[in-house]
Parts: sequence; C-alpha cells; structure tokens
Amino acid sequence: MEEIKKQHRLLLLKVNGEDHSVAVQGGETLLDVVRDKLRLTGTKKGCNLGVCGACTVLLNGEPKNSCLLLAAECEGAEITTIEGIAQEGQLHPLQRAFINQGAIQCGFCTPGMVLSALALIEDNPNPSEEEIKEALSGNLCRCTGYTGIIRAVKEWRKYLKTEEPPSPSYDLDKFKTVGKSLPRVDAASKVTGQAKFTADYYIENMLFGKILHSPIPHGRIKSIDAKKALSLPGVKLILTGQDVPEITYGVSPARYDEHVLAKEVVRYVGDEVAAVIAVDEETAEKALDLIQVEYEELPSVFSPMEALQEGAPQLHDRYKNNINTHVDHHFGDVEKGFAEADHVREEEFVGNHVYQNPVEPHASIAYWENDGSTLVLYSSTQVAHYVHYMLARVLDIPLGKIRVISPPVGGGFGGKAETTPLDLITALASQKTGRPVKMVYSRQEMFLHGRGRHKQHMKFKIGVKKDGKITAFQSRIYLDGGAYSSFGVITAYYAGSMIPTLYHIPNYRYEGFRIMTNKPACGAMRGHGTPQPRFAFECLLTMIAEDLGIDPVEIRLRNAMDPNTRTCNDLDIRSCEFKKTLAEAANKSGWKQKYGKLPPGKGIGIGCGGFVSGAGYAIYRGQVQRSSEKKPETFAKKAMFPHANAIVKISEDGTAAVLLIQAAEIGQGALTVLSQMCAEALGISLPRVRIRAEDSDLSPLDLGAYSSRTTLMGGNAVVMASNDVLAKLFALVSKMWNCDQEELEARDNQIFHKKDKSKTMEWAEAARQYFNDQGPLVGTGWYKPPEGLGGDYKGAAVGTSPAFSFSTSVCECSVDLETGKVSIEKFADYHDCGTPINPQAVHAQVEGAIVMGTGETIMEEVVYDKKGNILNPNLHDYLLMTIKDAPEIFSGIVDSYEPQGPYGAKEVGEGATLPVLAAVAHAIANAAGVWIKELPITSEKILKALRAKKGK
Amino acid sequence: MILPEIEYHAPRTLAEALKLLVKLKEARIMAGGTDLLVELKQGLVEAEALISLQNIKELKKIEKKDQSLRLGAMVTPQEIISHPLIKQHFPALVEAAKSMASPQVRSLATIGGNIASAVPSADLPPTLIAAEASLELQCTESFREVNLLEFFTGPRLTICRDEELLISILIPVPPPKTGISFLKFSLREANALAVASVASRITLENEVISQASVVLGAVAPSPLLALKASELLEGKKPSPSLFEKAASIAKDEASPISDIRSSIWYRKELIQVLTRRSLAESLKRAQKNPG
Repeated sequence: MEEIKKQHRLLLLKVNGEDHSVAVQGGETLLDVVRDKLRLTGTKKGCNLGVCGACTVLLNGEPKNSCLLLAAECEGAEITTIEGIAQEGQLHPLQRAFINQGAIQCGFCTPGMVLSALALIEDNPNPSEEEIKEALSGNLCRCTGYTGIIRAVKEWRKYLKTEEPPSPSYDLDKFKTVGKSLPRVDAASKVTGQAKFTADYYIENMLFGKILHSPIPHGRIKSIDAKKALSLPGVKLILTGQDVPEITYGVSPARYDEHVLAKEVVRYVGDEVAAVIAVDEETAEKALDLIQVEYEELPSVFSPMEALQEGAPQLHDRYKNNINTHVDHHFGDVEKGFAEADHVREEEFVGNHVYQNPVEPHASIAYWENDGSTLVLYSSTQVAHYVHYMLARVLDIPLGKIRVISPPVGGGFGGKAETTPLDLITALASQKTGRPVKMVYSRQEMFLHGRGRHKQHMKFKIGVKKDGKITAFQSRIYLDGGAYSSFGVITAYYAGSMIPTLYHIPNYRYEGFRIMTNKPACGAMRGHGTPQPRFAFECLLTMIAEDLGIDPVEIRLRNAMDPNTRTCNDLDIRSCEFKKTLAEAANKSGWKQKYGKLPPGKGIGIGCGGFVSGAGYAIYRGQVQRSSEKKPETFAKKAMFPHANAIVKISEDGTAAVLLIQAAEIGQGALTVLSQMCAEALGISLPRVRIRAEDSDLSPLDLGAYSSRTTLMGGNAVVMASNDVLAKLFALVSKMWNCDQEELEARDNQIFHKKDKSKTMEWAEAARQYFNDQGPLVGTGWYKPPEGLGGDYKGAAVGTSPAFSFSTSVCECSVDLETGKVSIEKFADYHDCGTPINPQAVHAQVEGAIVMGTGETIMEEVVYDKKGNILNPNLHDYLLMTIKDAPEIFSGIVDSYEPQGPYGAKEVGEGATLPVLAAVAHAIANAAGVWIKELPITSEKILKALRAKKGK
Repeated sequence: MILPEIEYHAPRTLAEALKLLVKLKEARIMAGGTDLLVELKQGLVEAEALISLQNIKELKKIEKKDQSLRLGAMVTPQEIISHPLIKQHFPALVEAAKSMASPQVRSLATIGGNIASAVPSADLPPTLIAAEASLELQCTESFREVNLLEFFTGPRLTICRDEELLISILIPVPPPKTGISFLKFSLREANALAVASVASRITLENEVISQASVVLGAVAPSPLLALKASELLEGKKPSPSLFEKAASIAKDEASPISDIRSSIWYRKELIQVLTRRSLAESLKRAQKNPG
C-alpha cells in the first residue's frame, strides 16, 4: 500500500499582515490550516458547517466562515484573525467595549463576534441597533443573550481614547470590591483569542482519536473486524469493548451503567462501539469506515409510555419494565387538600428534549507523565473533580495518580457535567500508545453523546380556595431517560422536589418515573429536571387564576413563599424575597396597564422560578477515595468532605495574591466573583488577585460548576482562606504595633489601626515581612454545607441547599394570528440572588437564561426518526435563537441578604432559567387566546390551536 | 468531518474552466462552496476533485445589457444587496438576498450556486422566476439561453449537462407599473431555510392587472410557478378578494412535503397567507412604480 497518497501544495497565506508558507491539501479548510498549522487557535471550531460563526475571519475585510473556505481559495487575500486585532499590545476600542460592557461570558463565540462587529464598524462607525443585529446574525452565542454584545457594539466609540468604567448598575457602597460591576478577570484573554480552550492545546507527538458509533438503536455486537482499519497507514491503535475495563461508570453511584465502549449490547444510535487512534483526525476518520461490525439487531423502543408496556423491549436487566427510577412522595394529605378546595383543575403538559449545545464541542487530551505513572487529562469539563473520581474508578488507580487540567470551558449548561467517553478513551489510549491522545467531538457527536434535558410528560393538578390559596398539588411525571442513567436518578427527584419552594403548598404528592428508551441518555441541563415541571405548574396556576378572575400576579403573591420557612418536603428556606421580585417585575413591565388590555395578537405573560445555591450533598457518598476501596456506607445527613476548598498564596514580595481553587469557569463568571470575594476579604484591589483554577495539582478540590453552587460554596471557602491569610498577617502586624489583632483592618491595599490613624502600613510590605520572617504566607479555607439538611425520607437529599433563589419574569410578545409566528419582544425580570457579587455578571446570567429559556420554549427540540436517528444533529436544523430573535431585556436585582452565603450571596445561574418558559407560554396564550401545553410552542402548533378554536 | 483528499483546481478563465469540466469527469464545480462544502463534510456527496470558479473574473460582473441586467454566476448575495442597479430595478431580489443565511455566508455564496444547486427552498429563484429571468449555459462546444423556470427538473436536479456551466443570469428590466415582492417564512429571524416562500409580480395597465405571476418556494420539488393563481389575476382589477381567491388557489397548487420544519398542512396554510400578502405588496409597488 502507498505510504503517502496525500497531495500537498505549498500555499502562501497572508495572515494578520504576515506571510506564511504552508503545505496544504486540496480539501483543507482555512479554519483547519489556521488552527492546526499556524496554531492561531483564537479562531474556533464550533459547528464546522457554517452556522455558528465561531470560526469567522476577515478576508479582505469581509467576515467569512473559515470552515466554509478552502485554504487554497485564500491565497493572495488579506486574512485577519482575532489575534491580529490588537496592535502593539493595545486592544482595539471595540475589544475594550466588549470587556467593559459585559459582552463576554464563556468567550468561545467572542473572537468571531468581535470580527463580525469590527467589519461593521469599519464600514459604519455609528451603527443602529438593527444594523448591529444584522451584522452579527451569523454569530451564535449561547451565554449572553446577546444583550451585552449589542451594548458593546453600540458604545464602542466611548472606548476610543480611554477605558471607560462599565455601565454603572447597582454598586454596593458597603463593600470595596464585592457588589461592583468590575470587568471579568478573564475578559482580556478571551477578547484577544489568547484564552486556550481544551481543543486549542497541541501536545508534542500527539495522536488523534475518533469514535465509531452504533448505527442501530438496539442490538448485540456479534463481531468486530478491525484488521483493515488497523492496516491503514497512520492508524496506531483500535480499541473495542474487549479492550476496556469491565468496570462501569456513570454519575449516580447506585446506577453506574455505562462501559467505556460497548461490551456486548448497543442501546442507542450513537453508542460507542470502537475507537481509532491515529496520527491525525483525517486518518482516524477514514479508519472508522474500515471497521466491520456485525450486529444482531434487537427490538427497540423510543417512547417512555411504550417502554412501560408489557412485552416492551428491555434495555437493561436491572431496570425492570425499563423503570430506571421511581419516586413516590406524599407530604400532607392531597385527598383532604383537594376536598377542601373550591376549585380544582388538572391539565397535562409535555416538555421537549432540548440539548445544551454549548458553542464549544467537548474535547479531551490525555498523556502519562512521571515515567508513565501519572495520568494528565485536559478536559472541557465543568466538574473536574467528578471526572477525576471517575477516572480513578475506571482505571482503578488512586486519585493521587491523576492530574486533571480543566481549561476555560466554552459553555456547559450541564452538558459537560459528567465524564465523557473522550476523557476515558484518551486516558486508556495514551496509556497503550505511550503518546498523548487528543479527541474532540464533532457537533453531531455532541448530539449523540447527548445528556440534554429530559422530555417530561406531566399530569398536574392544583386545588385552590376561592381566594386562590393553594390547598393541594399533585403531579405525575414520566421522564424520557434515554439509554443510560447519567444524572437521571437525581433529575427524577428534582422534578418533584423543587415545586414546593416557591409557594406554600400544604399537601403535596409527586410520582415520577424515569424510563429507559433507545435514545442518547438525558442528563442535567440548566435547572436540572425542574424547568419543565415549573413551566407546567406556573401555566396551571395562571389558568386557575384566570378561571377565578384573580390577577396572575395576585394569586402568586397570595401563595408566595416567606423567609425562614420549612417546606412540606422538608427544605429549609432562609432568605426569600420572592414577593419583591413579583412586585418589581409587575411594576417594571407595566403589568396592570397591559394585562387583559392588549389588542389581539399582543400578549403579556408571567412566570416565576428559583433554584438551589449548590446541592446540599455531593453526588457520591463517603470520602474522596477510589470507589473500589470504599466500604458500602449508609447515608449520613452531613457532608463527608468539604465541597469547596481554597488556598490563598501571597507572592513573596506581597504584591499579589494567588487564589487556588478548582472552580470551573464555564462562562458564568466563577473566576471573577471568586477573585472579587478574595480581594474584598484580603482588603486588596482586584488586579492584585490572580486565580488559578485549572490544575488539580495546584488547586484544591472544588466540585465545580453544577447546581449553581460556585458563588455560595466556593465563595465561602475563598473568604475563609483569605481570612486565614489575614489572621497570619495581623498576628505579625499586631506584634509590630503592640496591639490586638482585632484592632486591625485591611482595606485599599493598606493595613490600618482602627483607632490610631497614625498607624498604617502597605499591605504588600506587611506580607513581604511575613515571608522574610516565616516563609510562605498561605491561607486555606473550606466549605461544607450545613449538617442535617433535608428530611428523613428516600430522596430527601435532592433539592436540599444552604439557600434558594427566587425570580419573576414578565414576557411581552406578539403573535401573527394568520401564521402563528411569534416575536418575543420584551422581558422584565427580577431576581433574588442575595447580594450580587458582580451585578453585571448577574444581569449577564439572567439575559443569557432568558434567551436560552425562550429558545427552549418556542423553537428548540431534538427530533428523532422512527429508528432512533436524530434528524437535526447540527446547528442548521436544531434552532438556537440568533441575535435577531432575542428580545429586549431588563434585568433587575432585589435587595436581599442570605446569611449562609459569602457577603450574603446566593445563586443566579440556573434559577434565572426557571421563570422563563412559563412567562413565554403565558404571553403567547395571552396574545393568541390559546394555551399550548406541549413544548416547543411552535408557530405551527399555535396556528393549529387557533384553527381548532375557530372550528368550535 | 475532515474533508477528504480532494484535488483543487482554480482556473483563471472561463475557457480554462470549461476545458477542465470536460477533462475531469469526477470533478464537482464549486462556486461559493457554502452548500457543497457542507455536503462534502457531512459525507452526503463525494468528490475527487473540485473546480473552483473563484478566480474567474468574468463571472463576477454585474452589467446592464439592452433592457436586461446580466449578473455573472459568481456574484454574491452581498453584492446583490449593495449594487445600485439591482436596488433600483429589483428591490425584491435585494430582499430575497438579505433573507439568506448570514452575512458571512452571503459574502461567500453566489447567485449561480443558489440556482444551480437546485435546492427546493433556495431563496433567489422564486423572485428571479417572477422577474422572468433566464440563464446562460456554456460549454466548450455550445452556448444556450434557457428560461429559469425550465432549468429545474427536481430537487437538486437541473437540465444543466455535466460539461455545461451556468455562467450568467439575465433579468429583463420590468416594464412600467410593475411590482415584484418576495416573502419568506422561516423558523427564526436569521440563518434559516425557508419553510415556504412566495414571490409575486403584478403589472398594471389602466388599473387592470395585465400580467401576473405567483411563484412558490420550498413547497414543491422545484420553485413552482402557480399557473392557475397567476392566470386568475390577469385581466382583472386588483382587490383584496381577488388576492384572497388567488391565494387560496396557490395553496391548492402547492405540493409540499412534511419534514422537520413543517407539515404539509402548515406549508399550504403559509402559502395562502404569504401569497395574499405578497400580492398586496406587489400591487403597492406597481402603483408606485411609474416605470
């Protein structure tokens, strides 16, 4: 066989004003050449099919998708990538506008977004909002809701000369750094293309892996013949189910049910059958086609209702009747509650299977260092510790022999919260080949890997008194789980547990079934299990209000949760300003003037929500230890290890504090708020704090970005570590000044004597002296959730949290009554997040959640054919809202203080999604005069309902 | 997916390109590549070699020739949007071009590619058909001009022969008192394919519709001239009820499929609404346009 078949040609490409000669094949795209050959990795590969715009470059000043350009076509053109925008170390004013106006979150879309905007302003320095939206309509963003981006492009001229402060909003005077809308600490690196995401790393001598996925939804693997594939030049290793450990993995310890590669049975189209490791991606892909697999096809089932039927195909022996999880919770007495009600209404709602679709695809790189004894894994994970734990389990090595590096993540939303086949296969393959191995999902593979939101079939019943006071609530939910457990056990509990946190519900029954079907596993997505039940509950409550002639805002106020309440399912609500969010959102939106008074086709709607500020219990039980070494433990109502841990290490000259904590920056601003709290507690300014979160060898365990936990839990650990530093420093200074430590105060980079104003000292000077006297100045801190959270029933742990958030959204829309087409026009949202550590970051979370939640309500859905194939595994057909679809958003924060949170803070990340679905659904119902109870609420469904109503 | 090892050819003249077409039987013509590269990457089509038309300057011209505009096949939607002659004579074509994909794609894609790929939901053909455009097809041996409507034979199928190249599009400048409009319904505001689209044209003579056409997109294997609806309009005075009747006939003429974007039922409903609205808009334009 020929060794070299590839025809390379030497091309001269002019990139950012510099000439590069590169050997290129005919089919290579400009994107691949710029990234893989020139290593200009600021240009991102998001969808590779010309939709997401993350790969945008300027070609002779015009924005183009570099994934749709062959490199060969670009000879002679002036190519500009994000790395070419800043000149001589000076950021372009537009870049400064992005940084200061809160236009950046995960940063993965940022380079493309900046380049599209740059082309616009160079042509039209003063663009209108409409022109901005048009120019950026080919750049998808999953984090920001586009609001900050529009603001940045509108305001860019303000940054022509000097750096302006960000738009002031809600700055708290009582703090120095906390409560301020300071620019993100990672913004500059993201706006220049310097920030490296996992796939941007290239390790010397690296190989590339690809997965062979099952083409059938259910079957037995009879044989795999990889001989041909293995003989393809450049192929180094092929792994099949025979080559991977017997041990299973997953999320919930009670339901570890996945193998690294299928051992015997494949259970959905996309299940991992084999992996090819080769010298490059192209060779690996080619080899996939040469692997011959013989299957014995088994009957399959795609709907949870059918999967429950007798005689239905069974996915796993251990889940009888395909029931993966069954929850039956009954608090109070619902029969009695309904008997006492004056009005009872029961409705059925159906959710949709939506996919997180972060713009960054999952990626992993693994190699073994220290003579092969220590695994190093780069992973695009939002929960590095659970990946760490799972690698230790599957490879059966101590956690101490693994180093997990988690670079910035280009959006997660729950889809990167669990260990992926990429993590495990790269680890195994790099061990076998002795070389680094990199694997990156294509967009289609992301859909196949799945872990999106469970589609829930919900039957809800609420009873109320004449005045709208709830007497009882009953729900029955079937969750379509897909082929494996993933987070699903927890999802099934969450679907019920969070309902009683918003309103006083004296009698409550929830029955939930998570059912296995031959589709990709569903997992945890922003709001984990709760957005659909919340949508259904809020819609039903509004229907009941309208039945009774009570204003929907009023019925909520009459039932709203109060602070310091124990819910019927034993959750402890502490701070709660839910009523304030209701009143403010109603006021801001002009609810009273609009509700019931708008012309046909115009509508206003309300929805409420809230979420945990960190799960009260970790996902696995017991200590941090390889799972095979643990004895079975019974559940204890306390944290077995601290969920967040921090080290603050002061530089030897005292001018910098290095904050070490394994928090995950997935776009939400974790690094920024943790740095702000560190600076506040130490009494130094933010630029003196540098945070290092990405390396488990450096940064102590933090459970990362899930359950909206970072601000509260990570923050508490950071404050404790900072206080530990300060105590050591004060001990030294108090000796020098002959005073008590309590008399000292640190602020503004100084140390003061509280009473004797003549005594001051530079903070750095004190720290320097500490080092000279006693060596490293280091503080440690940790956080364990309070003991005893939750009740004493099965599943009581799910939904527990030190604190809960609350929010209200009011949506305004118009509906074209002839076509059903919906335009979401406006949102007014108020959130109770306790003290906002960074108000701009809070608004950014809310704005992003509103656009994501709205898209989920009206256009997003993973669609399958009858054989379990996904029909829209790409961004052409799976619709994310573009900048032109996004509404105008007002985000407000109510005054609130959470005693359990650092500086009074609690969550905003997931809770912000919760009110959105129902607000949109109600606004549409209000505009069109018909309720659509099945998500997504498409124009076609609306028109059908309008026709049905007319026909009556 | 990484693109396969493809031979890349970029002739500098039309003559060279036509010769290559004869020589390389397995080659695919690439105009903007926005469709072809996507299909290649998804493994939906295969190609051993590509003949890029990118370097052929003569295919990029926009010129007025007698009473027609002649657009080279490699003119991009972005150029259509900003060209003064097109803005002046064919505002509807500008609107159709604006409705396409995204700015990045609009500066890569081409009018020739949009036509020659013969995708049923393509955005430019309905308006061009309403404007009675024709195409110039060239091969080494011959040259022919064909009516655009007759060019399409099915989804991704045309009368274009293997060695033939679509080189330009001829659009006659509309007579006085003519209005053309284009409406597209899609599932989001940008970067979306048409679920259904309608282009219509009305020419008035003494307050009576002397010439009309209703062209439907995305609801048939190829762009569809709704003959009965068009005929109904001709020789009549425009009125809302006439348009409603034409719209209802157009709905019957549409023969869409059900797919992930829409059901047959919904596409037909959309056609009715879009036809009525488009006709009203074309009428408005015809009345305003003194010629």
